[in-house]
Amino acid sequence: MIVEQIIAASIVMTTPILLAAMGGLVNRQAGIVNIALDAKMLTGAFVAVVVSSATGSWLVAVIAAALAGALVGLLFSLVITRANANMIVAGLGLNVFVTGFLGFILTWVYKSSGTLRLPDVQLLPHFLPEAVSGIPIIGRALAELEPLTVFAWATVIVLPFLLASTRIGLWVRVTGNAPQVARSMGLPQKSIQDFSTSFAGFYSGLGGAHLSLASIGLFNEGLTAGRGFIALAAFYFGRDRPVATAMVCLLFGFLEATQIRMQTAGLPPKLIGTIPYLMVLVALCIAGWRASRRKALS
Amino acid sequence: MAEAATARADATVRLGARNISKSYGPVRANRDISLSVAPGEIHAIVGENGAGKSTLMRILQGMEHPDSGAIIVDDQDVRFSQPQQALETGIGMVHQEFMLAPDLTLLENLVLGDEPVSLAAGPLSRIDWAQALQSGEELAKKTGVAVDWRRRAGGTPVHIQQIVEIIRLLRRGTRILILDEPTAVLAPQQVEDLFVLLRNLRDAGTTILFISHKLKEVVALADRVTVIRRGEVSYSANVAETDSDTIARYIVGGNDTSLIETGRASRSRTGDGEVVLNVARLEAPSLEKSHPLHGVSLSVGKGEIVGLAAVSGNGQDELVECLVGLRSASKGRVELMGGDVTHATNGERRRKGIAYISADRRHEGLATLAPVEDNVVAGSHDRPPIGQGMLLSLKQKRRVATERLASVDVRYGNLGDPVSSLSGGNQQRLVFAREIASEPKVMVVSQPTRGVDLNGIAAIHKLLLQFRDDGGSVLLVSEELEELLYLCDRIVVMAAGRIVGEAPVEGTDIAEIGRMMVMQGHADG
Repeated sequence: MIVEQIIAASIVMTTPILLAAMGGLVNRQAGIVNIALDAKMLTGAFVAVVVSSATGSWLVAVIAAALAGALVGLLFSLVITRANANMIVAGLGLNVFVTGFLGFILTWVYKSSGTLRLPDVQLLPHFLPEAVSGIPIIGRALAELEPLTVFAWATVIVLPFLLASTRIGLWVRVTGNAPQVARSMGLPQKSIQDFSTSFAGFYSGLGGAHLSLASIGLFNEGLTAGRGFIALAAFYFGRDRPVATAMVCLLFGFLEATQIRMQTAGLPPKLIGTIPYLMVLVALCIAGWRASRRKALS
Repeated sequence: MAEAATARADATVRLGARNISKSYGPVRANRDISLSVAPGEIHAIVGENGAGKSTLMRILQGMEHPDSGAIIVDDQDVRFSQPQQALETGIGMVHQEFMLAPDLTLLENLVLGDEPVSLAAGPLSRIDWAQALQSGEELAKKTGVAVDWRRRAGGTPVHIQQIVEIIRLLRRGTRILILDEPTAVLAPQQVEDLFVLLRNLRDAGTTILFISHKLKEVVALADRVTVIRRGEVSYSANVAETDSDTIARYIVGGNDTSLIETGRASRSRTGDGEVVLNVARLEAPSLEKSHPLHGVSLSVGKGEIVGLAAVSGNGQDELVECLVGLRSASKGRVELMGGDVTHATNGERRRKGIAYISADRRHEGLATLAPVEDNVVAGSHDRPPIGQGMLLSLKQKRRVATERLASVDVRYGNLGDPVSSLSGGNQQRLVFAREIASEPKVMVVSQPTRGVDLNGIAAIHKLLLQFRDDGGSVLLVSEELEELLYLCDRIVVMAAGRIVGEAPVEGTDIAEIGRMMVMQGHADG
């Protein structure tokens, strides 16, 4: 019973991180370290709630959230590629700005501080028939399956092929690996980077939509709780490879799921809550150590 | 269309420049340069660093626009607003620093920007790797080189990288190939192979522009040579009708062709066999694209210049860093005058008498944006006469700086000018002045004449010999074998992170050293 619950919760917890990480790894392969994934997730979460409430359609809400994320991503990218802003400083700025701006919208438009509850928010549908919950171990996870989780894992499967064997995939990789080579071979280096950042925004927006529409149906200023940064750690540790990165996301999702269980077991919740972030630090240390080992061996 | 095709077939000028001028602020990089390269010719462009060769090449490639004058292709005036257009017209350039993405495979690099697709869908088109491989194989066969296309570009020997870059340009329809100092990174045998390839390409109709400062190569390879000096064409002739002395005269200007002495410098024997620097079984991890050190042992005696010959990326940079304290050795020992300095910091080693002249002058050797005076006194700023307690004596700093600069004849404007305003030769002399000032026992010197013009090279050679004659020891790492033969008392050869041979300079020739350099070089990389 507990195993079933933890598996189901792990899958749910993984999805937003996974979506943001898939976007972020493409971005990083194109040479941009996007530390503003969190801002785009938050944007997506907010837009998803507002649009879902206004239209009553989860699908329209999800698409709107993705487009909003992509738009923020594009603007962010233009600041980096055209105005030559430092990507880390600009990313920090965007994170702070989006948080502040959404807080302002909440108080000014919705007269609420921190949390936004709207009527008639349609949640992501569980599309498998109720009967699947009878399947042992994974039944509960299947019953809770919704479209964004399926989409996220489909991306994990398709992305390696897209990166390896399509034009845009090759262009993205060469742009990140050797921008001057891309330029000298007549590739539009800046536009490729803009595309990759919009792509990251699109996926982060989806991740945000999952956070607000998977079960709670409301928006909160602290909703992302730094998941954009966890996604960042995931693709650093997964060395920008989709499948490896997905496995790391799954680990982080699992940690989050068990952490909630431990809280109910009476351990101090704030302390337990730091475990995933602590794991991020450990993961980054291991990734750095592995990279230097590899360099030494080659 | 038909007209253009005929014009192409019997063009008299495949690629040319007519009265091209280009200034950067007050600097007139190109003045009224005219050049004409006939179809199917290997045309060498020679000149000192800063003479204006690179500017001219950038203009021909569409990366810069001339202030006045025109580019000619197939007897027609053309204008390039971006490099892409030059590429489409059939002009391709192999740059000094290779234009391959290191983490991509050679095949991926080959098709970049012109991918064959099996399913056309714009950027989402699926790349047809089988077809890509086939076209790569066909072109490789023409060059007579076996290329492992699945290999990461970064893990491929440099001469193969160079050939892949040439193949890539041919695949894109390049008829005019510009090569910028293509032999700088190659071992002698690889230079020979490259020349064979270039001659074959010429005979098959490709026109080649070959930029170099090595006169021997120009004479061996080119059909015609054009000399650029101070932004102007100073000489142009058929190679068959001229000789290297004449070309050299036009490169340096005036009549002093004996600036670069070849052969052997005077030998001094101040040494008494006393070992100053001793390296025993040193092991260390490698930098990127290079070799780790495998049990390197060597020694440098008092009053001796020991040369280290190796093809770039065979561990010499790692060794140098281990000696000066910028990289930690994983095993083995470094001893200075019998004392262990293996784990000493860079600062400790400096105080004990190891000076360092870095190959990377712009990043390691100098603070390029800092003033001339600060650069030349750096390292002795923290003790008298300049450092006085917590403060610096600006007066003393200026005095010491002026003295040091004068001692090696550095030409500079003001003491406060950024060091980047000096020419390469003057920068390097400044570094020498600073390093010698600490009265080191041994100098670790890496590529001291890289990016230095002929006058500067002669001066640096004199300084090194002077230091040795005064009883100093030198470990000299250089890719210029002639320089090593000229200066050194012994030459140690390194390949793939190992010492593979040692030779006294007497009775050793370049070919022999070259053979040792490539025997194991890159073979296991």
